[in-house]
Amino acid sequence: MDGSLPGQDRALRPPGLAQPVGSRLMAALRVQLVVLGAVMMREIHTRFGRHNMGYMWLFFEPMILGGCIAMVHYISGHGLPGGLDILSFYVVGYTPYYLFRSILNRAATALLANAPIFYHRQVTFLDVMVARNLLDCAAVMIAVLVMLALIGAIRDVWPVDLVWIAFGIATIALFCHGLSLMVVAATIFGVETVDRVVHPLTYLTIPLTGAFYMVWWFPAELQEWMLLVPSVHMFEIIREGQFGPVVPYHYDIPYILVSCAVTNVLGMLALRVAKRRIEFT
Amino acid sequence: MLELRNLWKSYDAHGRQKHVLRGLNATFMRGDAVGILGRNGAGKSTLIRMMAGIEPPTGGEVIRSMSVSWPLGFGGAVHGSITGADNCRFIARIYGKPAGWVESFVEEFAELGEYFRLPVKTYSSGMSSRLAFGLSMAIDFDCYLVDEVIAVGDARFTERCRIMLEERRRRSALLMVSHQGELLRAFCTTAAILHEGRLTFHEDLDQAIATYQAL
Repeated sequence: MDGSLPGQDRALRPPGLAQPVGSRLMAALRVQLVVLGAVMMREIHTRFGRHNMGYMWLFFEPMILGGCIAMVHYISGHGLPGGLDILSFYVVGYTPYYLFRSILNRAATALLANAPIFYHRQVTFLDVMVARNLLDCAAVMIAVLVMLALIGAIRDVWPVDLVWIAFGIATIALFCHGLSLMVVAATIFGVETVDRVVHPLTYLTIPLTGAFYMVWWFPAELQEWMLLVPSVHMFEIIREGQFGPVVPYHYDIPYILVSCAVTNVLGMLALRVAKRRIEFT
Repeated sequence: MLELRNLWKSYDAHGRQKHVLRGLNATFMRGDAVGILGRNGAGKSTLIRMMAGIEPPTGGEVIRSMSVSWPLGFGGAVHGSITGADNCRFIARIYGKPAGWVESFVEEFAELGEYFRLPVKTYSSGMSSRLAFGLSMAIDFDCYLVDEVIAVGDARFTERCRIMLEERRRRSALLMVSHQGELLRAFCTTAAILHEGRLTFHEDLDQAIATYQAL
């Protein structure tokens, strides 16, 4: 975590041996992957723990919400526009939203919770964030898969394109990963302060994310504004993967990729600037 | 070799720059056993953390051309919410050592009994320093940075640490910071005094301790 080049200090062999730049880079990359793998294993241990339910909520929350809303629709006799299956609509909306919220809400305390491992200079702040967010993303993908299989078995509504759903979830993870780096950088103003701002924000922005409605339900002039929010595009992709071409979808792949790149580049820059002022060791 | 080149550390305290370390220069080689004496707040821990590479210097640089341990001290380095065994496997992985071997080495060294398979937050401070010290021995560094860790253990543990470090003296360096001169006698052959941001070396341990006590 000092000013030296990445890889220079991280190689586990004693430096000073003359090596071509290419193999030094490969060695650094290998160390990076080893560290990432180890941090992920450790995260699994802390999260699954011995007695907390951790990931079980991934299944319960969307199922309860989807179930309740489906019930309300059923009792009131209203369906969704386009006749989409209500339960799967809320499951593919809420579960990826859960990823959005979990990555951002836990970002502020991510480093504090991992303070002891920064005693090892090969572990960087970025390693920890990447490991956590990758794990969250994988968990949400598995949860969606399990729930869609359940829904398929019970109601005979099957996803049309699983790869497309996974792509949509991956873009949400990538977009939020960039944002989470900015949240971490902001903790130089105090972890608690940032936490108090981020939590309400993730709730207040629920209507903006695009998790629980479709763009084609709204008038054209409103759609333009809605589509400024990158995650609206991402949720449309996930729904297209689930339901296929039975209703219109609105998304722009280049816009999604550019917004992921923007949050990640800005996030990494912010973390680079803030890094020297963050002290958790 | 571990080299400090014109090392500075400054903090911003209430809008004023406070210089903790003012241009330190030093070279440590394998086989050295150096005690660094300093009062509370002299910057001992800051110095050891910068040598370990986990805190960036304000100016100058630390050049590590041998493998350098993390700062061994109570607290830090091991994670409270996972078990001692899980900590062993994690540290083994990031330092590229066989996880199973490290686990059994530490289990034998640290003598934690059934606590080895319980979360570290249930340990006493003596137990966690045994775990951390055992881990650092299992990784086998060229240079050990010790931050008064040994003072926490009981006499039996201190003695075992001393023997272990003694065995490694031929191939490893030992740098130990302390505010007690007496502690260094058991482990070190030379000493330096960190006072008012500067490091002064003394060839003779007794002379260093005497000078320190006269400060």
